[in-house]
Amino acid sequence: MNESLADRNNYTVRDRVKSMIANFGLPRLIIAAFLLLLFIAAPFVGADFWTQISNTINRFSWNAVMVLAMVPMIHSGCGLNFGLPLGIISGLLGATLSIEFGFTGPMSFVMAILIATPFALLLGAGYGWLLNKIKGGEMMIATYVGFSSVSFMCMMWLLLPYHSPTMVWGFAGKGLRTTISLEGFYDKVLAGFLQIRIGNLSIPTGTLLFFALLAFLMWAFLHTKTGTAMTAVGSNPTFARAAGVNVDRMRLLSVVMSTWLAAIGILVYEQGFGFIQLYMAPFYMALPAVSAILIGGASVNKASIANVIIGTFLFQGIVTMTPTVMNNMIHMDMSEVIRVVASQGMILYALTRKTEGTK
Amino acid sequence: MNNGFGKKIRNFIFDNTVPLMFVLICAVCIPLSGFSFSYLLNEIVTRMGRNIFLILCLLIPIMAGMGLNFGMTLGAMAGEIALILVSDWQIWGIPGVVLAMILSIPISVLLGYFCGKILNMAKGREMITSYIISFFMNGIYQLIVLYMMGPIIPIKHSSIKLPRGYGIRNTVSLLNMRQCLDNLLAVRIGGVKIPVLTFMIIGVLCLFIIWFRKTKLGQDMRAVGQDMNVARDAGIQVERTRIISMIMSTVLAGFGMVIYLQNMGNIATYSSHSQIGMFCIAALLVGGASVDKASIGNVFLGVILFHTMFIVAPKAGAQITGDSMIGEYFRVFVSYGVITVSLIMYETKKRKNKSLVGQQLAQAQKEEAKAHE
Amino acid sequence: MNKTRSLLFRLGTVLILVGICVCMMIVGRGHTVYLDNKKIEVDGVEYAPPYKITVFVGGEQVAKLNARDRGMATCIGQNFEMTLKIMKEKGGEETTETYRLKLPYQLDGIVVNLPAYLAGLPEETWMSEFVSLATETSAEDEELPGGDEMDEFEMGDF
Repeated sequence: MNESLADRNNYTVRDRVKSMIANFGLPRLIIAAFLLLLFIAAPFVGADFWTQISNTINRFSWNAVMVLAMVPMIHSGCGLNFGLPLGIISGLLGATLSIEFGFTGPMSFVMAILIATPFALLLGAGYGWLLNKIKGGEMMIATYVGFSSVSFMCMMWLLLPYHSPTMVWGFAGKGLRTTISLEGFYDKVLAGFLQIRIGNLSIPTGTLLFFALLAFLMWAFLHTKTGTAMTAVGSNPTFARAAGVNVDRMRLLSVVMSTWLAAIGILVYEQGFGFIQLYMAPFYMALPAVSAILIGGASVNKASIANVIIGTFLFQGIVTMTPTVMNNMIHMDMSEVIRVVASQGMILYALTRKTEGTK
Repeated sequence: MNNGFGKKIRNFIFDNTVPLMFVLICAVCIPLSGFSFSYLLNEIVTRMGRNIFLILCLLIPIMAGMGLNFGMTLGAMAGEIALILVSDWQIWGIPGVVLAMILSIPISVLLGYFCGKILNMAKGREMITSYIISFFMNGIYQLIVLYMMGPIIPIKHSSIKLPRGYGIRNTVSLLNMRQCLDNLLAVRIGGVKIPVLTFMIIGVLCLFIIWFRKTKLGQDMRAVGQDMNVARDAGIQVERTRIISMIMSTVLAGFGMVIYLQNMGNIATYSSHSQIGMFCIAALLVGGASVDKASIGNVFLGVILFHTMFIVAPKAGAQITGDSMIGEYFRVFVSYGVITVSLIMYETKKRKNKSLVGQQLAQAQKEEAKAHE
Repeated sequence: MNKTRSLLFRLGTVLILVGICVCMMIVGRGHTVYLDNKKIEVDGVEYAPPYKITVFVGGEQVAKLNARDRGMATCIGQNFEMTLKIMKEKGGEETTETYRLKLPYQLDGIVVNLPAYLAGLPEETWMSEFVSLATETSAEDEELPGGDEMDEFEMGDF
């Protein structure tokens, strides 16, 4: 009797550990352990620990908003937003137009957001309408909507009548450059706000606060009536419909939100990075964001703000740490390979999980 | 009568939107580009020989209901690895091509098996999964080619190896087997070189596909493609059939890549394979195929239309806008656009059919209820 | 019964493919043959080059070698056959003769000294390995994926 109880206890403990691992996901565990290892190894191989930390936090601050953009669509059951480039394009339009209209300094950042917004709403609405037409096949079509819009804009960047000398090719006098420096515009406009510098450690407080604000708004939204309805649509569309929720409207709303956040996300990225990148640059930007949120513990139909924060930190940590640590350790820069395998492997892992509800 | 004819035309246009659009684009761009007819014809024939084999490999997964196989990139990688080895061993000419094809088989089978296994875990979203697999494998490919070739896989020649001692150079020259398939038995008709042997190989593959459709395995695949559950009830091993179709497609893609690269004459080690999937799929769709239905005819028509566009677009773009980059971007945009449109049309059609079936079911139930009364 | 048969069938296919591979590796091994029409000294005896040698391989003229010239021909497989049209003195008679060489499998580039070969000396005197002097022509860094500088543009390099 006693024995069997102990047996059962044993079993449950082992079971609990197993289920914990299953919940957390083995790949996620490996990635987290790998990052931990990198942090531990960094001082030994001669990389400055605080510089590494600063780099990681910096990159975190650039990318977090774009990862946050994944949340609404996952909640409404539209899956991973591989169509992120569409939002990025709205952001780029906002950025370039704001400069074209002659705004400078912090004002140009505000104006970029304001100008990007209508584009994001419009494109997002169209995109959302399309995704409502093709429920079940969202992810593949989203990918290709992103690709086609990026390649379409490649033509547009050349053809649109931009004139600002800081942006167009000098010799031709028309057609935007592939990279545009933001010096004098909104370079480090958020990062420089309340920046903390202690020795080698620097923290872009402003950017982090900006992200915190957006993340809080997102969290608050998800707890409003509309927000819970959106989650309901994602987790059980039939039930949601029965409860009188307009499924298509919720999905549309989530797509518009995601697109707008992507637009803001790229602007935040640019202010940290210091350059606007046009043409093919937004092409694969969805993939790092997608893998980041998945690494953070999200699945194809479940995501939280915590997932965003953890995921972005882990992903960007690996991106920044591997080159330096690897290079110093074995004199072989395998970071690219590790990054690709880790991030794509994570996406694959998520796609092959059986998920309830939507496909 | 008239009405029926009009309806027929409308249906024809609706069913062939993409090819007709392309005919239109080509019709506008060809005169603008100013290329001579014989130049165009020569280019198209060359590109047909180069690409058709690769595109044919997409047909088999479509048959098995697994959609467009973005994972054909895996086969392309296998072909490239085989060619790198063969060119390091200095095997030239046709023997080199044959050896590369055979060497690619085990690699392709392994990759295809892996891909099939994973796709079985992601039923219903095969395409996005195979698409991500191709990225994932690209990482592994880099690991092998950039780091393991040299210290682990012996590479002798410094013309292939990077000066640092490991890894393969950006381009590997295949000068010694360049167009050896195309030139053997080649026939020139009025300045147009026809690579007869390559076309014969393609012909054999076409015959194989036609024959394969009629075999037990081919029938099984089509049954699985129609409805997995019904097929399973009928005693077909669904998972196994799907894996086999992936393996076949990957192996054929490996062969196709060898043919493709012997025509090009060099391997761009880190980029040759990355776009190949996209262009092949775009070409197939341009030929009027859809995600769930594709024929050999689609392949041929697609290659001709797509590559005509591909050849003339930059020049035509330059004529219209005065900037040759516009044309380059335009053809990339069109490739992606075609895939997007086809995917959307496929999904909407699927939904329409589903709701139609639902309506019919409801109707039948209603009638049954009526009969009971 | 059926299982063993299909296993045997598969094994046979694999064996046949491996067989073809081996054949291809022997048949398809490519060599570059460098033909030298240069003066050579072996054991104190000097062999003077003829005035001009015209080399034909596979019916095509691949080189016209005056004294002290080097020509190049490619060959797939180990049996190299060349036809030499030799003119001993300027304006003299031309003699045409076909020669067959057995090439060593291991060597990519093989230098054949024609005067020594034509004099009928043992193989090691006229055959040597070709060592390229210009192997490191493009030693400058190539742009590889994930190269040394980890720049931010690589976000798009997935």
